[in-house]
Order: sequence, then C-alpha cells, then structure tokens
Amino acid sequence: MRYFVFLIVLFFACSSPEKKKPIILEEVSLGVEEVVDYPKYLSELDLFESPLKELKPKRDRTFPYEINAPLFSDYAFKARFIHLPEGTKMTYNASEALDFPKGAILIKNFYYPEDFQKPEGDRRILETRLLIHEEQGWHGIVYEWNEEQTDAKRLILGKKVPVEWTDNHGELQRINYSIPSQPQCKSCHDLGGTMTPIGPSVRQLNRDNQLLSWEENEWIELPDEALPRLVNYMDEESALDARARAWLEVNCAHCHRREGPAKNSGLYLLASQTDPYRLGVNKPPIAAGKGSGGLKYSIVPGKPDQSILVHRIESLEPGEMMPELGRKMTHREGVELIREWIARME
Amino acid sequence: MKYLSLLTLILVISCSQKTEKLIEWKSIEADLQTLLIQAQDGDTIDIPEGNFMFKNPLILDGVANVIFQGAGMDKTILSFEMQESGAEGIRAANCTNLVFRDFTVQDAPGDNIKITDTNGIRFTNVKSQWTGEPSEENGAYAFYPVLCKNVIVENSIAIGSSDAGIYVGQSDSVIIRNNEVYHNVAGIESENSRWVEIYGNNAHDNTGGILIFDMPGLTQSGHTTRVYDNDVISNNHENFAPEGNVVAVVPPGTGIMMMATRNIEVFNNRIHHNRTIGTALASYVLVEALGAEEGSQLDSANNQINESYDPYPNNIFFHDNEFKNKHWFPTLENDFGLLFLRYFTFNLPDFAIDGIMPENEEFVMCLSNNGEFSFANIDAANEFEGRTTDWSVYACETGSIAPIFQ
Repeated sequence: MRYFVFLIVLFFACSSPEKKKPIILEEVSLGVEEVVDYPKYLSELDLFESPLKELKPKRDRTFPYEINAPLFSDYAFKARFIHLPEGTKMTYNASEALDFPKGAILIKNFYYPEDFQKPEGDRRILETRLLIHEEQGWHGIVYEWNEEQTDAKRLILGKKVPVEWTDNHGELQRINYSIPSQPQCKSCHDLGGTMTPIGPSVRQLNRDNQLLSWEENEWIELPDEALPRLVNYMDEESALDARARAWLEVNCAHCHRREGPAKNSGLYLLASQTDPYRLGVNKPPIAAGKGSGGLKYSIVPGKPDQSILVHRIESLEPGEMMPELGRKMTHREGVELIREWIARME
Repeated sequence: MKYLSLLTLILVISCSQKTEKLIEWKSIEADLQTLLIQAQDGDTIDIPEGNFMFKNPLILDGVANVIFQGAGMDKTILSFEMQESGAEGIRAANCTNLVFRDFTVQDAPGDNIKITDTNGIRFTNVKSQWTGEPSEENGAYAFYPVLCKNVIVENSIAIGSSDAGIYVGQSDSVIIRNNEVYHNVAGIESENSRWVEIYGNNAHDNTGGILIFDMPGLTQSGHTTRVYDNDVISNNHENFAPEGNVVAVVPPGTGIMMMATRNIEVFNNRIHHNRTIGTALASYVLVEALGAEEGSQLDSANNQINESYDPYPNNIFFHDNEFKNKHWFPTLENDFGLLFLRYFTFNLPDFAIDGIMPENEEFVMCLSNNGEFSFANIDAANEFEGRTTDWSVYACETGSIAPIFQ
C-alpha cells in the first residue's frame, strides 16, 4: 500500500505539465544611442506655462478642444489641445480629421482625477502624447510625467505605471496603466499607410459651438451647410443604433476600415458603413485565431454571447482583446451598449 | 526502508529528466526597439547570439531595404512568452524589401511575425514556433505576411501554430519553398493570394499539410497557384484550432486541400499516410455549411457576400503525384472521416471532391499520371446520393500553369 502511495506521488510529481514561468535575468545593451530627434523634456517644447501640471497654454494659438465620442483608454481623462503656428489655419474636411497646417501640434494629456466625482480636484497626469505635423508628415512622440508632476520625459519604449482612483461609484480602482511605445502610435494612427490624426474630425468637434468660436478666431473656415456630427455614445437620449455605431467607430474603425491596418479582416466599423455583412453580421472571422473565442460569427443578431465582437471587446488577453492596444480594462459601459445593440438586432 | 530510498531515487531521477532546462533569458528590448525606430533605408539590424525575452511587440514601419538578422536559427532566440501588449511578436508594416533571417521567434500570444502592406519580404532560415505541446492557446500564425507583394518564405521552420504555420493572405507573387512545417493545424496555407509557388516543402504531422483557400468578403480573390515537389506526409494531428476559424473544419489526416480557388496545378508531390484524405477539393458552400452553427441562417449571409466571390473551385490540374496510405481508417473525430468510412469503407479515397459544381460555367479538372489511387465524388449537394468512385470524366492530360517566376 505504501509503495502504491509512492507511485502516485511519482506519477503526479512527474506528470505535472505546468510550464515554468520564464524570468528575465538581466538587461543587455546593444550599444544603441539615444533618440535625439525631439527634446528630452516636455517643458523644452515651451507649450505650457509653469507650473507645467496646470496645463495652461503659453499662447492663444494653443487652445483646448473637446470631442463628442472619446476612445476608451482605461477611463483616463484627456486634456486635449491644438497648437497652430502664427498665420495658419485648419482646413475643413467633411469626413476625416481636419487638415492641419505644417507646424501644427496635437497634444493629448492623459490623467486620472483622484476622485472621479470631483474631476476638477487633485489629479495625476501620466503621459502626454504629441502628434507633430512636420514637412514630411506627422510624427508621434510620447512624454511620461514624473511623480512630482513637474515635467515629463521622452519615452521611446512603452511602460507600465501603477495608478489608482476612486471611480464614479465610489469604488477604488487600481491598474497598471500602459503607456504605449512610440512605434505603437502608428498601429492606430495609420490611414492608407500614412501617419494621420484620428480624433479631430468635424463630426467629433461639432459640439457646443466649438467650431463656430474657432471660425470667429479665424482658425478655420466652415462651409455654409449643416455640419455633420457624431453622437456621444454615453448620451442615453440618442438612438441606440447611433450610440453603438459611434462607440464602434471611435474604438475600432481607426483600424477596421478599408484604408486601415485591419482591412485584411474585411470587417469595417465606421459609422457610415451600411452593409451588415461588413459590420460583422453572420460574418466568419478571417485570421482571428483564439480571438474567435470558439465562436463562429462576428455578430449573431439577437445573441451577444455568441458574437465574436463582444468576446473580443470584453477580453483582456493580448492576442484576443480588441482594440489590440490602449487598454488594460474592459469598458463596461461600452460593452453593455454593444450587447444591447446586438441583443435588439433582428 | 530500503525500498523507500529506492523509490525516492527513482522519483528524483525520473523527475529530473523531465524538468525543463531553465533558459537564462536576457532583455535587449529597449535597445532593439530603439534601433528599429532609428532604422534608415538600407540598414542591417544585427541581433547577437543569445536568449532574449520581450514584453512588447517589436515594430518596424515605413523603411526600405532593411535586413533583420540573428546569429543563426538556433543561436538567436526571441521569445514573446511574457508579452503584455500588442497582438503579434514582430510586426512590420508599409515597408519595401525587408529580409528576416537567421533567428528563432517563439511563443507570442498572437501571431509570431506579421508583415502587412509591404512590397518585398523575404524570410530565410527563420524558425517560428510555439514551444510545448500543440495547444488551442497557441498563437494563430507563425509566419503571417498579409496584403503583401513579392513574398519569399524559404529554408524556414514553423511549429505549433493553432491556425497555419506559414500563412500568406491576400498577397501577390509568393514563393514558399524548402520549408519544414509540423505540429500546426495547417502546415502551409495560401489564402486569397495570387501567383503563388509552393515547392520543395516538407509538411508533416500537421492536421492538414497544404491548404489553398479562397474566402469571401476580402480585399481580393485568390487564383493561380503551383504546388509541386513537396513531401506531404502523415498530417494526422488532431485539430486544435479554435472554432470559428476556417481551418477548424479541416479533418485530421488531410494532405492537400483546395477550397473555392482556381487555376491550380499540383504535381510531383509525395502525399503519404494522410489517414483521412490525401487531397480534397471543396467549395466554400460545403465548408461554410460544416462550420455553421446548427440552425443558423447562412443563406442570408451568403447573399450579402460581395458578388465577385466565386465559392466553387475550378481549373484544377493534378498530375504526377504519388499517394500512399498505410492507415486503415480515417479519423473518426470529424464528419468527413465518418462519411468516408460509411460510404467508401473498403475503398477509402485518396482524392475526393465535394461534387458541388458551379452553375454558370463548366467545371474543369484534369487528373493524370497519379499512379494507383482511389477517387470519390461525394455529391454533397444531394445528400451523397450520386456519390461515385469513377473519375474517368476527369482523366485528361491538358492544362498546366506556366511557371510564375522565370
């Protein structure tokens, strides 16, 4: 009997299939020189007054903007600015981002208020992302803020930063916030192979007379027609379909469109898409791998639990989750919206 | 008591043999990604010998004539097992004339190497693998050029992909040669690609050896492919693809499978010991029905597929191939295996077609000089009623495809 026990021990000890977790022992240098194409510190760009953390623009041609439907970024708040060089203007574009003059800078500061119920209270700025319009095109660079919030330092590689906040329900949230690497900028900001801004389109900027006030300042000329507008997906007054389609556009369609990096999937999620098959209705995946979650179609009308799209926007696993970048959490409100939209679909 | 120490000894010895040797991983991530950011046209990025672990993808964008090389296939190992962000290990986009050579890349949570929107890409002497037992948890593609032109994958090895080892999608002018692919669901898969040459490869112990597929609703339809001088041997691995992916319907024991594609010449291949079917020709109609959820309304989906898509294979020239099969039974894990067993019990087919024919054009297929083999038209459109083993209507000599590259 005793031997039998030993045999069992032997069996379990040896058959345990668990793979050992790898450990990185040391960092090795390849003798690479620092990237020096842009200043090392955000303060050197001279965009904001001191103290930097108040984000007060130095010039009146550096001005804040708001959009209707923001990309989900782990519930981070975003303070956005446009910088226009003297004597330049933005040019109207009905469907894509505005055309910006050379020398324009788009500035996006990612921060968390300590308490989401007091968004104007103490906050921690984590990173500032810049899109700079050079002669040869747009460049994306990233600055990581120090803990003292006195300045932000150029970051080439991505980084995880622990952050916590009290959410709108009074609950403490903690995540390892992920600052993307510089080359990851173009994983999303890619239109037909060219680095391109995504957010500041007329449809996104058309709110609260924002565009009209810019026209008064002669920063843009607007056409006489009615301006198109994307709904705010959190606005429960708007129609469910319009809200769901706005959420899909801002979170997915920078890649999932004919000109985007995910065009190989044949799944196109711009709000202007009218073909249900292209939106994923009864469409089998092409190269989803385990992202399919064992499900067969991107969207099964009436059945969110059988829709790959829902599986992928809920997932947190690299290789399965969508979008591929920019979140460590599930956007609960967004997923709920998409679930309801699919549940009511016929 | 002496037994006790003996047993302990056995325990120690038998276990220590199984313990994996712990690899001493190092990190060069910061420097290597910085090099890739600063890469200028014409640069060579040299990666030294060693075992290197990455937490983020390596990204290369918009450069020309860049060579990314290690110190040797088994000397420079790049592992993405600890990857925290991104969907692929190595990713390149919008480039011209890239070369990847002489390294191993492994264990990315998504695809190991994805190249997109690039004209001119060559992989040579690269091993791309998922270590450990083949698993549904493995990434989809080991080599994944998509939306590319002028692609070469050669002298490389792909192991353990939960979809395809070497996958070329929506690409033009492609050579896949002299590679070894095993323990993948699909060894080699060409999907919606045009002007493709697949030769001199050894595809063994996958679920399916070589697949030429055309899927609906993509940026282009595939055609014109030559498959020759390949060893397609014992592709009998269980299918571990996550459901929903088209390769999940491939029966274990499939040698070569063509679906909904046209202008295909398959010759001089050794198609041995693939237990279920040496070579299969299928329409998308059948594959879609197999993959479909029971009771789902696929007709409606079909109608919405772009009108240019043609779900039927056509212009197939299959000659001078050699079939062997030492297995007595097909797989019993798949409807096809069961079907073959039921209807062709004593004459299991080496070459089968689904018999679902195009409506508006003549179906052209020539089978010649393939030695002794058994044929089946399963007549899937009519509940197998008209199934036949007679292939005399397809016995013709005509038809070949001119070499794509001179």
